[in-house]
Amino acid sequence: MRMICLALLAFAEAVALREAAVASPVQHVLVQMPLLVLAGFMAAWDLKIPRGWAVPLLLAALTVFLFWMLPRNVDWALSPAGETAKYITLPLLLGLPLRLSWPWLGPILRGFLKANALSMLGVLGFLYTHAPVRICNSYLVSAQHDLGFAFLYLAAALACLWAIPVLFGHPRRGPLGAAGCSRCGA
Amino acid sequence: MSTASEPAAAGHAATEPSAAPQAGAVKLTMILSGAVFALMMVFGLIMRAAQGQWIELDPALFYQILTAHGAGMVGTAALSGAAILWYFSGRHVVLTAGIYWAFLGLFLLGVVLILGAIFVGGYGGAWTFLFPLPALSGGAWEAGAAAAFMLGYVSIGVGFLLYYLELGRQIHARYGSLARALGWNLILGREDKNPPPPTIVAAAAVTIFNSIGIILGAAVLVASLVHLLVPGFEVDALLAKNLIYFFGHVFINASIYMAVTAVYEILPEYTGRPWKSNRLFAIAWNAVLIFVMAVYWHHLLQDVVMPPWMLVVGQLVSYFSGIPLIAVTAFSTFLYVRGSKMTWDLASSLLVLSVAGWSVGSIPASIDGMISVNKVMHNTMWVPGHFHTYLLLGEVAMAFGFMAWLVRGKTISQMGGLDRAAFATYLAGAAGFVTVFLFSGAASIPRRWAVHYEEWLTHDRIGTLFSVLVVLGTLIFVLRFVARLGRSEG
Repeated sequence: MRMICLALLAFAEAVALREAAVASPVQHVLVQMPLLVLAGFMAAWDLKIPRGWAVPLLLAALTVFLFWMLPRNVDWALSPAGETAKYITLPLLLGLPLRLSWPWLGPILRGFLKANALSMLGVLGFLYTHAPVRICNSYLVSAQHDLGFAFLYLAAALACLWAIPVLFGHPRRGPLGAAGCSRCGA
Repeated sequence: MSTASEPAAAGHAATEPSAAPQAGAVKLTMILSGAVFALMMVFGLIMRAAQGQWIELDPALFYQILTAHGAGMVGTAALSGAAILWYFSGRHVVLTAGIYWAFLGLFLLGVVLILGAIFVGGYGGAWTFLFPLPALSGGAWEAGAAAAFMLGYVSIGVGFLLYYLELGRQIHARYGSLARALGWNLILGREDKNPPPPTIVAAAAVTIFNSIGIILGAAVLVASLVHLLVPGFEVDALLAKNLIYFFGHVFINASIYMAVTAVYEILPEYTGRPWKSNRLFAIAWNAVLIFVMAVYWHHLLQDVVMPPWMLVVGQLVSYFSGIPLIAVTAFSTFLYVRGSKMTWDLASSLLVLSVAGWSVGSIPASIDGMISVNKVMHNTMWVPGHFHTYLLLGEVAMAFGFMAWLVRGKTISQMGGLDRAAFATYLAGAAGFVTVFLFSGAASIPRRWAVHYEEWLTHDRIGTLFSVLVVLGTLIFVLRFVARLGRSEG
């Protein structure tokens, strides 16, 4: 129940950021959209699925993730139809299936997904900071640059967040078995 | 920080590391590596003979062969180094065979894409894929060929990422943290009843720095691919060059740092003195971890738009980075071998040679890492001189030494006539070959030129003769390995 409340809170927060998302791509892509994903993730926190469903659900989540990575879809998300699609698909087709499939993913696959996320944040940082054109028509070029640097900062922060437990061990968990760390994927 | 002294592998006893882990997969990898090493050396021989005007070679084909030679040698050095590290890490941690096969499969897929891009698509933009060259072929190749080349790299990178994730995961599982596996307890003077052996210290360091290199390399590869397919998307050329050289420098260095575990694990069989981790050893490897990532700026000393402090760091770290190697691995090898009455067979001879060659190769590298020298030497044969020393007399000798050990059998006996001849041929050929490169560099002969002036031909022809010796020695090593595959390792 607590997780459902947190999911609703995240969703309400995302809706409340509607105006901010129009004003700034950083708030749109790196605050509002992750909040929507988080809402779906939290809503499915206590749910369990059979192992066989994990891969299809993961593929569905990755497909939706790829869709919303494209700059033109970020633009579209500000139109009425796109906004509706965003509010539905990010929690239900990304956050929820990601949470449901995550416990079944092996540590190598989790590590690969994390490493790939870091690389792709770097690529997005590359493109948004150096593209000679406005990638999103709804935002200024200067805001586009801000988003590019925000991608790079996020990549650095996530790299530290994921690497530190592997490098120094988890302070509260102690020694790990041969299966590795089920949460961090290491 | 969890760097406890107790073994951290709760429940680890169910699957203990074995003495000969996944030997079949490793032997297959070494057959492939030996065959590709030989083929790439033949490519090198063809290029030297063409520069010496002993054979006719279309310049377009020369640059394709140059690209295949560079990518093939770097890739095979990394592949053989990875096989060696996997084999010896398997003595200390339990590694999943499926991950190794996935790594090998992705590597071979990458090789197919790269060879197709070069010899079908005509790509000849060198192994460094330096932005924006892949997109500016002047009609020599289509964007699709450059894209296939880079996708080949991506495939190899994904394979290596899986490899390091598995290696890092199992080291983490056994030692509790990578910090402990890096020997921080030894460095900090804490009690550690089960300190990491040298192979695990090396594996932890390589896992960290090469994973970082691969992640950054993937970013610049995908950004370059986007530029190839949608030319409107520019990539900042200086940032791209930094990322490419970070990735490339770290990757090729990792191949040697992986292969050196053969020295740590095999030489004690000959000397009778176990190679153990100690405080100095751990400090040296932690220094390597930092230096190998901080030194790549010495590849950009001619980029005047780089911030000066970066270039100064590149020069200084070039000096420092030789110290851990020479002070620890080379000096320790000397001490272990000295007075040990060891038997000099092909494996031990090649492994000791490899440490010596690696150490010697660091000298021309440090010289070229000086800004004032680099201004005039960087685009000369000096540079292939230094990295061929590292590779021919270093990493490749380690790989051949490991191969000789894999099929040695249980008894150690002195080198026979054929082994002695092959070793002497390889040593003479490699030493002469790299010396000619260095002399050519000192004479300001440029590198990467398909057509040479009349005045340079003597250098090229002497180099060609030495490269024939290298190919001969290599063929004997590889054929000998294949012929003795039925024998077990030492």
